[in-house]
Amino acid sequence: MLNYLIKRLLWMIPMLIGISLISFFIMHLAPGDITASESAFNPKASEESRQKLRALYNLDKPLVTQYSLWLKRIVKLDFGNSFASHQRPVLWETKDDKGNITKGMIQDALPITLMINLIGLLIIFVLSIFLGVVSAVNQNRWPDRLITIIVFIGFAVPGFWLALLLMYWTGVTHSWLPISGLHSVGYEKMGLMAQYLDLIKHLILPVFVSSLGGLASISLYVRNGMLDVLQQEFITTARAKGLTENKVVYGHALRNTLLPLITIVGLSIPGLIGGSVIGESIFAISGMGKLFFDAVLMRDFPVVMGILTIGSVLTLFGNLIADIGYAWADPRIRRGITN
Amino acid sequence: MKILTQNPLALSGFIIIVSVLFIAIFAPWLSPYDPNYIDIHSILLPPSASHFMGTDGLGRDVFSRMLYGSRISLLVGIVAVGIATVIGTFLGAVAGFYRGYIDSIIMRFVDIMLSIPTFFLILAVIAFLTPSIWNIMIVIGLTSWMGVTRLVRAEFLSLRNREYILAAEAMGASDYRLISKHLLPNSLTPIIVTSVLGIASAVLTESGLSFLGLGVQAPQSSWGNILTDGKEYIQFAWWLSLFPGLAILITVLGYNLLGEGLRDLLDPKNKNQQK
Repeated sequence: MLNYLIKRLLWMIPMLIGISLISFFIMHLAPGDITASESAFNPKASEESRQKLRALYNLDKPLVTQYSLWLKRIVKLDFGNSFASHQRPVLWETKDDKGNITKGMIQDALPITLMINLIGLLIIFVLSIFLGVVSAVNQNRWPDRLITIIVFIGFAVPGFWLALLLMYWTGVTHSWLPISGLHSVGYEKMGLMAQYLDLIKHLILPVFVSSLGGLASISLYVRNGMLDVLQQEFITTARAKGLTENKVVYGHALRNTLLPLITIVGLSIPGLIGGSVIGESIFAISGMGKLFFDAVLMRDFPVVMGILTIGSVLTLFGNLIADIGYAWADPRIRRGITN
Repeated sequence: MKILTQNPLALSGFIIIVSVLFIAIFAPWLSPYDPNYIDIHSILLPPSASHFMGTDGLGRDVFSRMLYGSRISLLVGIVAVGIATVIGTFLGAVAGFYRGYIDSIIMRFVDIMLSIPTFFLILAVIAFLTPSIWNIMIVIGLTSWMGVTRLVRAEFLSLRNREYILAAEAMGASDYRLISKHLLPNSLTPIIVTSVLGIASAVLTESGLSFLGLGVQAPQSSWGNILTDGKEYIQFAWWLSLFPGLAILITVLGYNLLGEGLRDLLDPKNKNQQK
């Protein structure tokens, strides 16, 4: 297991370099000099401040030097400061000489996106395992057909459209749910319970919209996986030795179906992070997606590159955890590794 | 055609796609109005006999705009997936055929591309390159080939040591001939299935980008940007939001049904091959 871990960790180094290369390359796709495009949004920027920017980002040096200088800063987790007027640090808080702390932009946004997606993942897991198993056990009977239809529609629904309609219907017409942000006005003055309730109310729509696609794909996956496993010989053996149908389905078949799910969840992380752009923009939630979208529109390069890099690194770690989880959960692989 | 009728999923998907194709091709003849004609006397009219889907904030006929919008979604879907399939098949073929270090370099690159959140990548590139329909198609294509690569590579790896391939190699067939005449034709079905499913997600991505204002630009209509306009009027003009979303849903559903249906149809054969 240890050998596998070390090998897996070492593999991440070339991956990280590749990711940093791509993030760096993207920034240089922009036509012209980044100080020019930056100043286009800030016409007051003087020639002097442009010079400063150029020096700060080493734009006067050759590309290779620029990249290696940028990489040196990234390794120290220094993603620089935003181009926006508040000039907040991109990643983490900094203290100035007077001891004032300025919080990092990603530091603020990441927990929000993580919270929405983790709650979403939990719901996806519970519901899709339920739907997939019901579907598989009733193959080609009405529950299976009904669930399949729902799953296909869930796949095809444009999330932003559903979000708009739900927002209008539950929020504007009926005023059941708040339609934007994460907190109501006067959140600070509420008691702890009321704060939680308020947060949950705000989270219902965004979580629902963000988990719909995953729900559809994982239900389908569980259904097909169950159907495959149920045909295998060890299931026949389990039935032959007189186990109840419940034990066969949940004790034997489901456990074998769930294993590969670990990998699937790892692979779905970039989709979830990327998908947060539209949902967060619609519901005005200041998570990673909205931060990225706003930064892209304002050509705030340090933020764009910072989020691209951090988002990819998170995915890498997600996959790493998924792989380790898989190796740990599957005795066949675990044995294979220790040998 | 005969295969399609055996599977209701595939058949209904096929019918939907053919209808969308028909609408896209004949949009100029089917649409009752010029999609970009601004009529300030008929702003935000609800659906009626003269405007089937009502009019928008500039008095343009939504039905006509929807018909023209089908062209965009079709074009984006097919071109983007075309690009992805060509790149993916090429890299997958090279990796699976030559194996060794070429394979590991290509697959590491795939892993890297897969770990960057795709929508972030697309957004950044589009915004920096200025949004246009061509840029969108190219960028979606360039960021969605990885699945095809993995698939083609896996197919090639499993076919590579079959006797008929070894026989062809022994008889002096060139690498190019082995790949194009023997290996590729035998990997075609999974490529087709993935491509059809890929069109569905390309259509969704395009509509999402247009919705964010980074996609197809006005006055050209796409389902995504009709919806963006509709967002402003959602309180008093529901038809502006409802119809484009439904159109996207039905089209994406069509591609998914067709893709999954084809996969089901071709599945038994695949299983026999593996055994």
